[in-house]
Amino acid sequence: MTAEPYDVIIVGSGAGGGMSAYHLTKSGLKVLLLEAGRDYDPRIETPMFNTNAEAPLRGVGTPDKPFGFYDATVDGGWQVPNEPYTVAEGSDPFIWWRPRMLGGRTNHWGRIALRFGPMDFKPRSRDGLGYDWPITYDDMAPWYDKTERLIGVSGAYPPQSLTNTPDSPDGCLMASAPPRAFELFYGRAFKAMGIPVIPMHGAVVTGQMEGRNTCLFATPCGRGCAIGANFQSTTVLLPPAMATGNLTIRTNALVYEVELDRSGKAKGVNFVDRKTGEHHSASAKAVVLAAGSGETARILLNSKSAKFPDGLSNTHGMVGRYLMDSVGLGVTGQFPELENLPPTNDDGQGTEHTYIPWWGYDKHKALGFPRGYHIEIGGGRGMPSMSVARLLEEGDVSVGDDLRATLRRKYGSTIGFNGRGEMIPNDDCYCELDPGVKDKWGVPVLRFHWKWGESETKQAAHMVSTFLEVIDKLGGKPLGKVERDGRKAISKGGEMIHEVGTARMGASDRDSVVNQYGQSWGVPNLFVTDGAVLVSSPDKNPTLSIIALAWRSSDHLATLAKQGALS
Amino acid sequence: MSPSKSKPLKTEPDPKVAAPQEPYVEKVDRRSAMAWVGVVGAVLAGGAGVVVYGEYREGRPKAKGYGTDPKLAKPEKAPWPRIMTAAQLQAAALFADYILPASGSAPAATALGIPDFLNEWVSAPYPDQMKDRAILLDGLEGLRISSQRRWGVDFAAASAGQRQALLQALAAAKPKTTAHTFFRRMRALVVGAYYTTPQGFKDIGYIGNVPRTSDPGPSEEVKAHLERAFQKLGL
Repeated sequence: MTAEPYDVIIVGSGAGGGMSAYHLTKSGLKVLLLEAGRDYDPRIETPMFNTNAEAPLRGVGTPDKPFGFYDATVDGGWQVPNEPYTVAEGSDPFIWWRPRMLGGRTNHWGRIALRFGPMDFKPRSRDGLGYDWPITYDDMAPWYDKTERLIGVSGAYPPQSLTNTPDSPDGCLMASAPPRAFELFYGRAFKAMGIPVIPMHGAVVTGQMEGRNTCLFATPCGRGCAIGANFQSTTVLLPPAMATGNLTIRTNALVYEVELDRSGKAKGVNFVDRKTGEHHSASAKAVVLAAGSGETARILLNSKSAKFPDGLSNTHGMVGRYLMDSVGLGVTGQFPELENLPPTNDDGQGTEHTYIPWWGYDKHKALGFPRGYHIEIGGGRGMPSMSVARLLEEGDVSVGDDLRATLRRKYGSTIGFNGRGEMIPNDDCYCELDPGVKDKWGVPVLRFHWKWGESETKQAAHMVSTFLEVIDKLGGKPLGKVERDGRKAISKGGEMIHEVGTARMGASDRDSVVNQYGQSWGVPNLFVTDGAVLVSSPDKNPTLSIIALAWRSSDHLATLAKQGALS
Repeated sequence: MSPSKSKPLKTEPDPKVAAPQEPYVEKVDRRSAMAWVGVVGAVLAGGAGVVVYGEYREGRPKAKGYGTDPKLAKPEKAPWPRIMTAAQLQAAALFADYILPASGSAPAATALGIPDFLNEWVSAPYPDQMKDRAILLDGLEGLRISSQRRWGVDFAAASAGQRQALLQALAAAKPKTTAHTFFRRMRALVVGAYYTTPQGFKDIGYIGNVPRTSDPGPSEEVKAHLERAFQKLGL
């Protein structure tokens, strides 16, 4: 392994690592990609078109497969065997989703691909809260353009010029499939409330795209896609990187430390093979960490040396700080007016066809909370699951033909409204090394600290009241008990699986870990290209931005390599 | 809305209702259905009116789940041993067909192997299913004992009318009682298991899960339905 003269070692093969591998190998650099999970081939492993009846327990989620049997996640979930984490005493709950597979979370992600807007990069300048990025939307715009064209994103629409909700230039997006019945239905209510409804940006190939298959408008994206019609690192980034001949992938390689040479530059990494338990080293001219915000912070904190006694690039105690997630919660309604709709194929394109971007940028003073949320809305006549009986009201004890008739009538008449909102980074949310607990291989694990602020809990309460208002306007009733107290209704920390910000970028080494190119302030040949570098956590789901930033940072790295600045 | 609410509770068999059906035969091979006979026997020996499956609740013997990396494209049969006794399986089959008997071209629950699914479910070594294990197995045992007391025969051997009377009593039980919880959970599981099959898709009107070259969106008929709804809602 160490005999190979690698230019770059990349740790992690998901959105950030996959993109880094793609660009660096295409730039002619020899890359070793280390992935903690097993090899994974979506072309043969994806359960497309399987029915729930073919799965154990009709496919419901279990501790072994928390998002359901067919969820693409391998060897992971809220717990990973042999790799614990802890939550500090007195902390609010925090949960951490990790897979152990090539391509990481890009295999199962929701494919929602929204750009951050101009305000999202300069939140502190706007209202004094949070922190500004060292870059602007204009710096990022060309990288968003390139990223959308590369990964395949649907959601084209005539320019809307909505506040902080960027339109993509012509040629970046493909057209979405038309709104389904439930989308037309809720759309009318939002429009009546003066709230715009626009096509979702989804990382799904809905039209003709060179070198890619078009969506089959069937079978959920969360299972992965055997024909590569949606974006997965394993179908879109890693195969072309391999085709360059410059990429070596080693799976089951759990990296725990970056090693420095005498001059204080990174010389390589140490890792354990998860299957054999053997420890290995690999060296290269540069190291890119893209293990996921939590794991990247853990590697930095575990990389202790005389120069960095508290962890690599942690001179000012910034590693692990400003951990963020999205605010999330959902309310489901049942709508008599959607009953008895003629059978329609509502499988759709995987992502929602339309969504509600945040509409209250000029109303925050009156609203009493500083940042907004967008709404992701699910419904329609999807493939029935074990939750079919939720359609039956509490007092309903019918059987036989009455029961069949009720289910037929109500099937497809529910709509789930889900808010995803911005969180402002705070001093109570961070991760550090647990002083006692170690993983199976003796490496200290992360201990999380979490506390939502009022900005988030008030926003959560607003989500609930908005959803109830819409449900009422549409003549529906909420299903189940609805919690109106934002402090209780809000998701757990980490639950939205948008944990970001543990090694943020900044304009100075005093208050950040890396510069605007993900380059460590303290170690010039060490880069971070995953969500750890994010300075804010806007309501927009982070994946598209992680990919675009990883491309931009990798381009900088490649330029430095060409200039000979790395060797 | 439900038949049980409008009709008085039956205490005597209805002669018009057909005799017991043929015994349910498992759709899959069984591994250790008799593993719990001893436990059930002990409970009966105690003559308890309230049946408590302590061992079931604590999940012994420890069965293995399918793990964190099961084959997805071609799923294997759930690996844990099945724990229902033959009598419980028969009772579950009769209950399942009471909930969803055949109707027109739609098959009965037993024709789709729903009792096997119920057995797979209550045997599973996961927390949600273990909670249901206690509810379902206690409930089935309660049915057996009730039938014995009232008519001197096991539930599975009772006439259709006798069984119907017991099941209607369950459905009519007050919310949040053990009997009501049993009925609701049993029905939710039967309904879920039924409508996740291709035959269930057909019955409920799910026409997806087929590859398409495009998604044309809703038909004119659907749009007209929505327009009528908007008028009604003033939208």
